Amino acid sequence: MLKYLMKRSGIYLIMIFLTTSAGYFLAVSSLKPAVLEQEKIPRPTPEQVAASFRGLGLDPDLNPWERYIQWLGGIITRWDWGRSPNGAFVNAEFADRVLVSTRLFIASIILTLIIGVALGVYSAARQYKFQDRVITSYSYLVHILPAPIAYFLVQLGAIGINEAVGERIFFVTGISTPGIDPGWPAFVDMVAHYAVPTFAMTIFGWAGYQIAQRQYLLDNVNADFVRTARAKGLTRNQAIRKHALRVSFIPVAQSIAFTIPAIFTGGFFAEAIFAWPGIGLWSIQAISLQDVNVATATLAYGSVIFAIGAILADFATTLVDPRVRVQ
Amino acid sequence: MTNIIDPIAEIDEARVADQDVVIGKSRIIFRRFMRNRTAVAGLFIFLALFLFSIFGGFLTSWDKDTIDPLNIGMPPSPDHLLGTTQAGIDLMALIVDGTRTSILIGLIVGGVSVLISAVYGCTMAFFGGKVDATMLFILEALIMMPAILVVAVATSGSGGLKDLPSWLLLIVVLLFFSWMGTARLVRSLSMSLMQRDYVKAAKYMGVPSRRIVWRHLVPNIGSLLVLDFTRGITGAILAEVAFSFIGIGIKLPDISLGVLIGQATGQVSSFPWMFWVPLTVMFLLTGSLAMMNDGLRDAFDPSSSSIGRAKTKIAKKTNK
Repeated sequence: MLKYLMKRSGIYLIMIFLTTSAGYFLAVSSLKPAVLEQEKIPRPTPEQVAASFRGLGLDPDLNPWERYIQWLGGIITRWDWGRSPNGAFVNAEFADRVLVSTRLFIASIILTLIIGVALGVYSAARQYKFQDRVITSYSYLVHILPAPIAYFLVQLGAIGINEAVGERIFFVTGISTPGIDPGWPAFVDMVAHYAVPTFAMTIFGWAGYQIAQRQYLLDNVNADFVRTARAKGLTRNQAIRKHALRVSFIPVAQSIAFTIPAIFTGGFFAEAIFAWPGIGLWSIQAISLQDVNVATATLAYGSVIFAIGAILADFATTLVDPRVRVQ
Repeated sequence: MTNIIDPIAEIDEARVADQDVVIGKSRIIFRRFMRNRTAVAGLFIFLALFLFSIFGGFLTSWDKDTIDPLNIGMPPSPDHLLGTTQAGIDLMALIVDGTRTSILIGLIVGGVSVLISAVYGCTMAFFGGKVDATMLFILEALIMMPAILVVAVATSGSGGLKDLPSWLLLIVVLLFFSWMGTARLVRSLSMSLMQRDYVKAAKYMGVPSRRIVWRHLVPNIGSLLVLDFTRGITGAILAEVAFSFIGIGIKLPDISLGVLIGQATGQVSSFPWMFWVPLTVMFLLTGSLAMMNDGLRDAFDPSSSSIGRAKTKIAKKTNK
């Protein structure tokens, strides 16, 4: 098992290296921070711009290959992911951003999974009845609604509630109110900030789990071993719970690991709409400021997250499915 | 007689009754599709929107570059059927333009990515071995890359890519990241098909490879590809709207539904029509495709149970 994991990790490391390098070349050839410097007042001369960028390791006169070598050398020798055009260190900011993103997503990842699987089982047990039709049509409706627009509509709704009550119950943007007292007021403030984004990500996130769990359970409900269980005297619900549910959960368990990267991508939209200064918002803002190093660092982070998800998925399969053996 | 009905014998009987008419495959598919009411309604809505995006310009006497100084930020009126923006531009003209861009992106990305995934997947399955391993490695590496960041880099860059119009750039990037899932599916499906007895039999009978692919592989993965085409269109339209909404993707002066929706978010309470009209169009577009999806799947499914009038004939005979 350990050997298998090591081999997988090795392959993924090579892939991460390749995707990150490709990302760096794309970023370095299309993002030109010097263009933005020209809009500053007083306008710096091209020599000044080049000199200041050279000090940051962003020399615009070098060709992409030379810059790549310089950048890669920094990472290998000092674990230094470079600096932004404004002089900030990528390493310094990275950890804070990852923490903010993780804090935002962790609650909705768990809620989405529990609600989605529960609704999937509930609707499969009542196939083609009224409840099943309502739940499943909702899930299909979510599929044709782009995530940022869905979040925006939730935001509008929260603003509507605030206006109707005449008091600011929910905060629709930001992570906390500056200068709030610690203790109970800080906790209330935190809940008020978390409520809207978590709600939005949860109600638009469970659809995939619901459809998958319903489908897999329905595939198994009429299987021979469930019929045998019924024949032995179990009630329909007991047979589903004890026999069909476990088997149908295997593919869902696999997909759980893969939602980690999906959440990462979906998080871009949530962070952009709700103005949470996490890794997604950071990368989008940095790219609009023509920041090569931040763009590459976040791209590498995305690839790493994906690799972790994929390895976890392999691992989860061997855990829940007794038929799978790792050689 | 017993109550056991042999379905094959029944169908044979029905064929004899119909003077043994063999219906062509495409006709069967067409008929099956037309039997599904929801799917036909979806097709009509989609065609209507397509025609609207091409000929909709005739519904309004304004175009998207002309400012009407007398009607700035006005709600819908007889003069401007869908109202005007806060710059005084007729919203109808903008919607026509935006719908055209969105449909164009959807059709190109959906169509070409299906082709890429079919060719790539079949090549992997056909050659196997080292070729397969290398191609799979490239495919997985592409899946790993967060597409949204690449879209952002490609469309916000001020370097060499700036010369291309943003819709073309978005099409290229979306194409690059849209085919991997289906390619993997095609690969595993055609690998299992190659092991089937009828393919082996055809091989030993000396049927050329091209013919085997055309007669045995394509019909079996065809339904998957057609479904993936409509799903790809939906996916591309949704991706365009999502990316343009948060400011990456399509950039002005190009107009798309996502750009129109994104622009209107700042003033939903004061200019509601500017937000809800493009949103409704987007819903009609993606909704109509979703409605067609189910009908298409049923029509292309070789083991479909949708047999139309033949069913009633068999049912009648059973009752006798």
